[in-house]
Amino acid sequence: MELILLPLLFGIVSFFIPGRWGRISSLLFAAISLVAVTVKLFYFQPDVKEYFVNNTGTYVLGMTFNMAIDGLGILMLGLSNLVIFLVALSNFNREEASKPSFNGLLFLMQFGLNGVFAAEDGILFYMFWELTLIPVFLMLYWYGAKENHKNLLTFFLYTLFGSLFMLLAILAWGAYTPSYDYNKLMYAAVPSQYVCWIFTGFLLAFAVKIPLFPFHTWQPPTYSTAPMAGTMLLSAIMLKMALFGMIKWMIPLSYSALKFWQLPVIILGIIGILYGAVIALRENNMRKVFAFASISHLGLIAAGIMIFSFDALMGSIIQMVNHSLIAVGLFLCADIATNRFGTSDLQQMGGLAKVAPRFGFWFAVTVLIALSVPLTAGFIGEFLLIKAVFEYQAVFGILAALTLVLGAVYMIRAYQMSSMGAPKITNVADLHWNEMLVLALVAVLAVFLGLYPNGIISLVKPSIQHMLENVQDTTNLIK
Amino acid sequence: MDAVVVIFVTGLISLFLGMYHKPMLALTSNLLGLSTAFTLFFLYGTYNSVLKSHFFSLVYDGSGVLLSLLSIVMTALVLIMGYNSQSKDRSNYADLTSLMMFSLTGALCLIGFRDFFMFFIGLEILSIPVYVLVGSRRGNQASAEAALKYFFTGSFATAILLFGIALVFGATGSFNINEIGFAILSGLYTPELMIPGALMILAALLFKVGAFPFHFWTADVYEGSSKPVLAYMSTTVKIAGLFALVQLMGLIFGNLKGNWEMVLYVVIIVTLFLGYLSAIQQKSMKRLLAYSGISNTGIALLSIMSGADHGSRNIVIFLLAYGASALVLLVVAQFAQDEENDLEELKGIGYRYPFLGIALLIALLSLSGIPPFSGFFGKLLLIQDVLVNHPVLSICAVLSSVIGAYVYIKLLLHFFHKESTLKDVRLNVASIIVITVASLLLIGGWLILYI
Repeated sequence: MELILLPLLFGIVSFFIPGRWGRISSLLFAAISLVAVTVKLFYFQPDVKEYFVNNTGTYVLGMTFNMAIDGLGILMLGLSNLVIFLVALSNFNREEASKPSFNGLLFLMQFGLNGVFAAEDGILFYMFWELTLIPVFLMLYWYGAKENHKNLLTFFLYTLFGSLFMLLAILAWGAYTPSYDYNKLMYAAVPSQYVCWIFTGFLLAFAVKIPLFPFHTWQPPTYSTAPMAGTMLLSAIMLKMALFGMIKWMIPLSYSALKFWQLPVIILGIIGILYGAVIALRENNMRKVFAFASISHLGLIAAGIMIFSFDALMGSIIQMVNHSLIAVGLFLCADIATNRFGTSDLQQMGGLAKVAPRFGFWFAVTVLIALSVPLTAGFIGEFLLIKAVFEYQAVFGILAALTLVLGAVYMIRAYQMSSMGAPKITNVADLHWNEMLVLALVAVLAVFLGLYPNGIISLVKPSIQHMLENVQDTTNLIK
Repeated sequence: MDAVVVIFVTGLISLFLGMYHKPMLALTSNLLGLSTAFTLFFLYGTYNSVLKSHFFSLVYDGSGVLLSLLSIVMTALVLIMGYNSQSKDRSNYADLTSLMMFSLTGALCLIGFRDFFMFFIGLEILSIPVYVLVGSRRGNQASAEAALKYFFTGSFATAILLFGIALVFGATGSFNINEIGFAILSGLYTPELMIPGALMILAALLFKVGAFPFHFWTADVYEGSSKPVLAYMSTTVKIAGLFALVQLMGLIFGNLKGNWEMVLYVVIIVTLFLGYLSAIQQKSMKRLLAYSGISNTGIALLSIMSGADHGSRNIVIFLLAYGASALVLLVVAQFAQDEENDLEELKGIGYRYPFLGIALLIALLSLSGIPPFSGFFGKLLLIQDVLVNHPVLSICAVLSSVIGAYVYIKLLLHFFHKESTLKDVRLNVASIIVITVASLLLIGGWLILYI
């Protein structure tokens, strides 16, 4: 429970901490949450669900406020706390970190995220889901680029539009069961003609958030005008909420509709992979390159989740963790390069590695991780995913594998244009120690998970297996 | 009901207190009267729930008591807010408060009605003081126009209502709603009289709550009235009118559903979208609230369609949230010097004054239906109930919420702009009290579900 409540406390306290203590306090708070979740991770029993709140009675509205974590939940909680820590650390030498409102919003965001990953009640899940939107929205508004009003409204309304349909889906599901508790929802006897609609409701919310191909239009402009912390939060952890929601909520609850939506969503995912990669090849705004790269990576993960086999899910989960790490690393590098050159246009960059060798080295390492070279977690994840897609449909597998090739091209192009060639700038500050620490942590974790993916697999295996068995059971029950 | 009498007497007293030209005195006596009435209602709700005492056929069930308590609280907040706004010319403050008290008496009668006599009398006592209140900005042309417009259209609606009541009486031979309900249930009525009568009553009430196609008066009337009167209209008047409509359709005409359901279906869908679509371009807070109020009425009307017994319970939280948000917005709008185009002037107020900023954030997020505020739970309850029977309506409600969110979030961005041209405002005690209470209602008001 402390994992949920600590960030709330930190968030409220941060609003009242004066500016000059802000950066130290925020780093300290983030570290405390990270330590708390790490301790929990070490003593965690993956095969039992640990309840924070367990109300078995039925309440008004059917809301139970239940919260629990299984292996997948604790992994995501750990990821969100890690990302928040990395964000706080990478902002340490920046102006924003000494603003009380910035730090407060950061921890309120963490509160919402942790709640999403632990919620065991449909309405509670939705509440935390929306709760994450407000802090990031205000953060983007106050600390983002000046001319971003229109993008922000698009972002907010687009995500709200999607998630309201998710609310309808949850409500419709809840109409056939006394409470919104996850286990009750799981065994609700919903008439089979509604299941497909309910799946669609969930899918709209998640497709906007991920974003899947035709719903992605909010993403690149938002990313390119957001402050660095906002981009990191959006890309590294908010998108994971949607993927997590697909694994935990959408597919297990409305499994019988999976047959109908599986092929369309996988096709959209594959289109997203190719589309994102091709645009990233042509794009000159460095942040937008990484934004489209993100669309490309996530298309593959979404396709893997829709296949919903054990291997595909494992690949997706490993790749989710990996993508969080590389998103933090890449957007940090993009922000540093943008700051040093005063523009985010790749054409006007060049030679940063020569004048700032430490940046050059760590940026190269991050790019290599993003390329999923062997020995990194991305290799394992993408391998499993592409294998699963290939087994599902060979043509899709071949198309999906293009992500490796195209990814190499646009990543190395971005690196080359910004860091190689004749220096277009002299006399710049190299990496600050905290930035180097962030990139090093990202690299170490990615390599560690690449060498020892069993760490993740053994953690989430029981809960995924349980979920797969459960899904079969309920489907048989309905038949 | 002794509480109703207490409020009426308080209104009379403040009418006489007007002689002394001491606004503080009037405010104190009114608040005293309101708190007495609140206590009486509270005790009635707590101890008297089994044996409902009849007092001129006024009966308050669970949600009736809650809504009466709510309208008393809201009226008290409006009085405090009005005390603040009258700072330049307070000479007629006591008169206006007494009118508000009389109107509240009518609202309470309307909430607890059990026969058509009380229904009609309540509605008139509620409306007539409001006609006067709307015209209370002396020397202002828009205000006079609004009052006249409201009076003419309002009395036309009243005439239609009266005709409808007469037809229903002709069809069943009774004014008592239990007897009418029984007659409908057992088929002992004349359908040729009954159905036109029911539709006329429905139309008149749709006019009172400002739903499509009877919504034209709202924007002009809201714009002409002063901000406290507007706050009163979007809290107490709306609460009483909507609750009476829900009670009427549920208790009496529920078994005639086939005849009016389709009409209401169309009315609700158009109302949902029309309000927010018109609100997008508004430059003044009053007109924005008028148009967004239309759409909120549409969502509240969903409770009639649910067909569930607890339709009237669901509406309580929604009305609470809507009223409290409107109060916050109007109190903030009072800080503008310009009465009409106030939104431009208020740019950046939330960023410069964090107290107002937090209140505005809560109010606007609650109106947009973002959890965990009362507005979310209000909409949740209403949509949940129509979801299974009328999925199209629930989808329309959701889509209109998205348009509404556009309106409100744009406003939020406007208030939170970093650069502001705002002149310094002085936060006074009255507005701090109103904003604090309203924000607390928005944060924790939905917990009354657990009572």
